[in-house]
Amino acid sequence: MSALLSGTGLVRNYGATPALRGIDLEVAAGEIVAVTGPSGCGKSTLLHCLAGILRVDGGTVTYRDQDIGLWSEAARSRLRRTEFGVLFQFGQLVPELTAVENVALPLLLAGTGRREARQTALDWLGRLGVAESAEQRPGTMSGGQQQRCATARALVTEPRVLFADEPTGALDVLTGEQVLGQIVRVAREQGTAVVLVTHESSVAAYADREVALRDGVVDPTGLGLAR
Amino acid sequence: MTASTLARLAVAGNRTDMLRTVLTAVSALLATIAMLCAATVLSITGWAGRYAAALLVEPGLRPGVAATLVLVSLPVLALAGQCIRLGAPARDRRLAAIRLAGATPGEAVLIATAETAVASLLGSVAGLVAYLVARAAIGDQRTLPTDVLPPAPVIVLLVVLVPVLAAAVGALLMRRVIVTPLGVVRRVRKRGPRPWPGLLIAAGLALFALPFQEHLKIHIPAPRNAALAVLGGGVLLTMAGVVLGVGWISHTAGRLLRRYGRGPATLLAGQRLITDPWNGSRTMAALLAAVTAGSVALAYRALLATNFRYYDLDNQVMGYSNGEGTGPAADPSFYFNAIRLVMVAVGLSAAVAAAGLLIALVESVVARRRAYASLTAAGVPRRTLSAAILWQTLTPLVPALVLALAAGDALVRLTQTDFDLGHSYRECVSENDPEAHCRTLAELHLPSVLHVPVPWGDLGLLGAGALLAALVAVGAGVLVLRSSTDLEELRVG
Repeated sequence: MSALLSGTGLVRNYGATPALRGIDLEVAAGEIVAVTGPSGCGKSTLLHCLAGILRVDGGTVTYRDQDIGLWSEAARSRLRRTEFGVLFQFGQLVPELTAVENVALPLLLAGTGRREARQTALDWLGRLGVAESAEQRPGTMSGGQQQRCATARALVTEPRVLFADEPTGALDVLTGEQVLGQIVRVAREQGTAVVLVTHESSVAAYADREVALRDGVVDPTGLGLAR
Repeated sequence: MTASTLARLAVAGNRTDMLRTVLTAVSALLATIAMLCAATVLSITGWAGRYAAALLVEPGLRPGVAATLVLVSLPVLALAGQCIRLGAPARDRRLAAIRLAGATPGEAVLIATAETAVASLLGSVAGLVAYLVARAAIGDQRTLPTDVLPPAPVIVLLVVLVPVLAAAVGALLMRRVIVTPLGVVRRVRKRGPRPWPGLLIAAGLALFALPFQEHLKIHIPAPRNAALAVLGGGVLLTMAGVVLGVGWISHTAGRLLRRYGRGPATLLAGQRLITDPWNGSRTMAALLAAVTAGSVALAYRALLATNFRYYDLDNQVMGYSNGEGTGPAADPSFYFNAIRLVMVAVGLSAAVAAAGLLIALVESVVARRRAYASLTAAGVPRRTLSAAILWQTLTPLVPALVLALAAGDALVRLTQTDFDLGHSYRECVSENDPEAHCRTLAELHLPSVLHVPVPWGDLGLLGAGALLAALVAVGAGVLVLRSSTDLEELRVG
């Protein structure tokens, strides 16, 4: 399989502290890759760099043969609302908007008509089993409902890559498994590649492949969470 | 992004956002009314004996009335600027979430600016309606110029100008803010402020003094408006210097507090002043501008009083009485009433400025509520935090007020500081041969020079009033501290 997204020699520092120290990673279309490792090993930083949220200090991030590190902030933002979807542990929903408005947001930002965006958002909320929460605001929804809503928002543009950073980290085990199962099911249906950051082996087990990090580099033992 | 999406995202918000929108609209309403009133006064043409108020009758005095009304609108606009920062943390989180959904940095700034522009436009349109309704309701053309309406293009310009200005201020405040999908970053200047604004004050004083320096042979050409522009420019430069100088004053005060202060309150206040020395410039700008204007008015009153005293003495020597004689001493109350009007405007401006200070304080406390809650959880008494806020506000404010008072007084003292009475008075009985038939009426034995006094008492009262207004604002702002230091704040994500 040829790589849809790849990072080559990725270096990222926070001041004098190195977070990534030359990481290589490739993700193929439709592939689910789990990035694992202990806290502070650079998992989230790697995800942010691959998603174009953070710029790398060294190396290149290539998406469909284009170095997105050379793109402007605005161009990378547009990439995130068309080709990429981003899912965090919490906090990504706009608290003042209803669930359906939150899901429709990327479409509205892209210029889709309000009615069409709303209908598409309602469809996605239905696919993820939270249609009944469409008019609720995030503050009145449970953690599981919020995360399903966030998943719907991340997938509503039918992205080619979904970046998920500890997507079930704030949920109880049962709800977490349900949400993760839905993410994986929908991603498989769509043919969406998933970069899944986690420190839980049960979550990593949903992936096709596991890449373990340690101190900002790929763990040479390759054992990851199975160690 | 379509206009409807922009509007929806701009008005999305919680109760604090709603309060910010309402306050912004009210500020725009008040500013629009003040500026429409100023435009109305300027629209009166020629000698207007139909009005009861002499300030509206004389063409030479109407620009001063209009300038006073504009002076009132400035702190109101500054209040609108302060409102933009209210509830900033929640808005920052919202903007970050919208960025994560794919909004570009420009779109995030556009959403934040659109909210201000929409609220201001609503306020300025409401201001126009209120102005027109009030004109119709008052109807009395003797007291107020309800028979005059500014030209339609001017009205439209003013209604549009307020939201444009407010949006520009909003965009200006966002220039150091980077909204990322992971949150909001505020760029911090690495170097502390320098005392360069002192040069602005010096330049302002020099510009103001230019028309009065006869020995320099500098003549401000006609029309008279050119001289007024030079004087106004001098005052504005001086005000700008005072306001910008607060950055350096705050930084220096913070360093002194941290070095010599005893106790945690001064330490906290000192560090905050060093970290964000420009906060004072933003929050105290309107108050300091009002105090500078008030100081100019009070110093001018002292100058006028001395001038009248000079004419009184002159007329006494010449044998005039009962209002006869030279100079405007016959009816000084007219001039003093005009200055009283300016002082009323200054008082109103100071009150509005204090409201702005209160909003800034509340915003500052709410923005740092987690830090305050953490300190409370660690055992720091709320009294200490309140004291820190008091120190943080007053330490730069007191020297800044002294600077504003001194700068305002200095402006007027540059025009004239004394009146020379040291000459004899003679009466000539023959126009054809004045030297032969003149006789000395009197030799004046009073002090030969009348000095214009510094109005220490009045300036002190003005400074104390401004300080009191600031204290009331701090007191009200500290009330928010109790709810903001609730330990529940530590659990909010």
